[in-house]
Amino acid sequence: MRREHFDIAVIGGGPAGLAAATVASEKGAKVALIEREPSLGGILKQCVHDGFGVIRYDQKLTGPEYAQKEIDKLNKNETTKFLLTFVTKITKRSSDFVIQFVNRSGADEIEAKKIILATGCRERTSKQIGVHGTNPAGVLTAGTAQNYVNLQGLMPTRKCVILGSGDIGLIMARRLTLEGAQVVGVYEAKSAPGGLTRNVVQCLKDFNIPLYLSHTVTKVFGVDRLNAVEISKVDDKMNPIAGSEQIVECDSLILSVGLIPENEIAKQLCVPLCPYTKGAVVDQTLMTLTDNVFSCGNALHVSDLADYVSESGEIAGAMACAKIKNRNLVNVTKNKNLLYVVPQKINLDAPLDETVFYFRVAEEYENAKLTIYADEKVVFSKKYVHLRPPEMERLKLNLEAYSDCHGFSFVLEVGV
Amino acid sequence: MSNIKKIQHKLKKIYPKIKVDEKDECVHLTGELDRWEDIVSLGQAAVSKDFVGVLNDVKLKNFVEPDIRQSAINDKKYDGSNLDVLIIGGGVVGCAALRELTRYDLKVALAEKESDVACAASGRNDGAVHVGIDLHGKSKKLSYLMRANPLYENLSKELDFKFERTGQYIAFSSWKYLVVGYLLLKSRAKRNGIKGMKFISGKKLKQHSPNINPKTKFAFFYPSGGSVCPYGMTIAFADNAVFNGGQVWLNTCVTGMTVENGKIISVQTNRGEVFPKVVINAAGVYADKIAEMANDRFYTIHPRRGTNSILDKSSVEHYGKLSISMYGNHKSNAKLHTKGGGVVSTVDGNLLIGPDAVETPLREEMATTAKSVNTVVDRQQDILPKLSARDIITYFTGVRASTYEEDFVIQMGRKTKNFVHAAGIQSPGLSAAPVIAQDVSDLTVKYLEQFSPVVKNSNFNPVRKGVTELRNLTLAQRDELIKKNPDYGEIVCRCEEISKGEIIDALNLPLKVDTVDAIKRRTRAGMGRCQGGFCQPRVLKIIAETVNKDYSDINKKGDGKIILGKTKGEE
Repeated sequence: MRREHFDIAVIGGGPAGLAAATVASEKGAKVALIEREPSLGGILKQCVHDGFGVIRYDQKLTGPEYAQKEIDKLNKNETTKFLLTFVTKITKRSSDFVIQFVNRSGADEIEAKKIILATGCRERTSKQIGVHGTNPAGVLTAGTAQNYVNLQGLMPTRKCVILGSGDIGLIMARRLTLEGAQVVGVYEAKSAPGGLTRNVVQCLKDFNIPLYLSHTVTKVFGVDRLNAVEISKVDDKMNPIAGSEQIVECDSLILSVGLIPENEIAKQLCVPLCPYTKGAVVDQTLMTLTDNVFSCGNALHVSDLADYVSESGEIAGAMACAKIKNRNLVNVTKNKNLLYVVPQKINLDAPLDETVFYFRVAEEYENAKLTIYADEKVVFSKKYVHLRPPEMERLKLNLEAYSDCHGFSFVLEVGV
Repeated sequence: MSNIKKIQHKLKKIYPKIKVDEKDECVHLTGELDRWEDIVSLGQAAVSKDFVGVLNDVKLKNFVEPDIRQSAINDKKYDGSNLDVLIIGGGVVGCAALRELTRYDLKVALAEKESDVACAASGRNDGAVHVGIDLHGKSKKLSYLMRANPLYENLSKELDFKFERTGQYIAFSSWKYLVVGYLLLKSRAKRNGIKGMKFISGKKLKQHSPNINPKTKFAFFYPSGGSVCPYGMTIAFADNAVFNGGQVWLNTCVTGMTVENGKIISVQTNRGEVFPKVVINAAGVYADKIAEMANDRFYTIHPRRGTNSILDKSSVEHYGKLSISMYGNHKSNAKLHTKGGGVVSTVDGNLLIGPDAVETPLREEMATTAKSVNTVVDRQQDILPKLSARDIITYFTGVRASTYEEDFVIQMGRKTKNFVHAAGIQSPGLSAAPVIAQDVSDLTVKYLEQFSPVVKNSNFNPVRKGVTELRNLTLAQRDELIKKNPDYGEIVCRCEEISKGEIIDALNLPLKVDTVDAIKRRTRAGMGRCQGGFCQPRVLKIIAETVNKDYSDINKKGDGKIILGKTKGEE
């Protein structure tokens, strides 16, 4: 079989994949963009609320509007798009990769020198957080509810409880209320909301939807269709407190309890994953520890803004085209006040002038000071008045002066 | 002292308020107790070789048994049907019996109260094809299992369900069990007719599975152990039966019977009154209730819950494919004569852990509890030391239909002549089901032949084809199929790689079902790590389009609607 050969294959046509494919094709690479759904845009297609593009376009766009801008950019250059196409296997060879896929035309293969994984993320399920009881209709993730309401025009609920205060849960609380459903409350096991502050205000407070912190759902009732849930208070270790149970009648339990980067293809390619982000370990070019495999967007780490997802796609797309001869990797370490820092490695032989870091804090802090060291030398420091885990921070630094160091470390001091 | 006096005397000491008498050659217990565990202990203590069975009618204080769960459907669809045979219960035994009976030229129907077959214990177990090392030498369980176990290679090919002869290990964490363990298990293997038992050193076991508990000293291996997809096997029996002319009446619940002169005249259901010549009782946890309706009760079902958890596929990479139980660790209270759950390598490439055993007065209490899941995790850490609740992708609870005699009841009615019992079916009931079904069918045919000859169904075709799994094919094979039917190239369930074509195939199998859960069990769409988060809207759409129904009329299962209406803009 004669296979078509590409410089770069981008897996996933959401905001990260679109940006990666756009930049790579602008730089003259022959790019294949593979998307499993019939149209490009990824999860943005179902995000009809606004707030996208504030950084990237200085505008408040809806998800579909933002996606369209990205698709228009992509279409200015030539890329080979495979839509409704599902990658079944990627095999690494000595100097390139063979990508197997299926679509309505058949099962086929292409070759590519480099792979950019832009496979997005998936939602945690009720079973993964240990919701017990029966297994009725009416237990669904916020993303699935969003798909039904915004793409299919179907109502999966008339009266629901939302567990978890992640952004999609907050957005769906408002959306379902606007569609005439009753949202009994949003329950969050942690002692602080999981979503962006703006979403807590605009989606809950403005609609008088109660938010109960330190509460979780411990059981669901109903055999065929859900008819009630049991809610319990939780202690500071998030364990349910016996005796605090209350029964809330509703027809649905909607879950917004976290997103997990989707890395099944990465695992096939033996890409090491980071225990904190659940995405690939990468250097500043967003190349994973498997040479010539890049990772970006929510597959790399879950972002709260699509703008940052696009940015990481652009980095991966540009760097996949750059000529980088060697990998001289040093570690980027962090102290325990930080949940994660991406990238986790720096390639001292790759461009260092525009190194972008993304990080999240482990807990909510006020008056914290971040210091970045190259070995013992201070590279950068900044004071933050307020840092919250749901809100990702971004820094762009020029590290050219440190190209002979042995490693970088991020130290966040709190209460300073 | 008469036999019943002996039992009265024995029980009076422990439960003075309980009335013990003899009824239809059974020990009949009546009264009231405060605790369910006492009622179960009482029933167990009343078992005697001198009686046919235990009728435990002792009430639990302040407990009202819930009504049998049934569909809201109430029509006359099957009213007035004249049948040769009515099978009650669409579990593995009922479905296998239906298939056996379609080998004859008979009018046979199976009434199942749920919206699919294998909704209770048959679909909610560990799928182990048992070895039989733990079974009593004179039990029906053993004799049926030993007949059934060798059939699986052929049967799984004939009916296209998943089966793997994995073998089974019994491991020990202390050398002190070496001699006694070996002698006991060896003699039992000989008595039970189990072939091929092998000693495996801890070192060799660790070569096979490097990450199992390093304290494992030695194990015995039984090559006859296996693993089957339990609901897949049940569905396969049902499909083949329907293909050969059997009827499966879903959402059909038996509500009563008319019995005259030791004979069932008619059976009432929520879908009409039917008139069978013979009734087969394969009603699982409700078997004693059905027997009571037929005026032929001589056993009592005491439901026993069991919870299993499925681990992420990565656990197979970590521990290897392994079906194993561990004995002799301080953490487990297992004695040598109980099997007590373990790790099962499933046919779908996961590891399964479980089950536990919890007595309950609720026959259909399939809700899971954190306690059961945690108990099983804790217990199986004996084998998989790094096991944590985070490895679990899903969990489920089934209810075993145990009798106090803890053995199968497979026989003609004692008082009611046109009634066949297939009751008390619990582990190894799934493994034994193909042979139980043969015997039930033979009993039924023998009864019918008293009145008129029963002829073979000359059109019977034993071969059934399930849904082709494209993910297991080569690229070229897949390409060929997609070229013929492009729907095979459109992936709907991304976690399990299931195409639109496979979903449509499942909807076109002989047993027609159109719930999301039914499709999930036939294709695995929605069974992966996202548990249907991405694919459910698309599966729903494909079902609605294929069976030509409105979205809001497609249920997850039973009467459970997924969609409750339209958005404002769509109304």
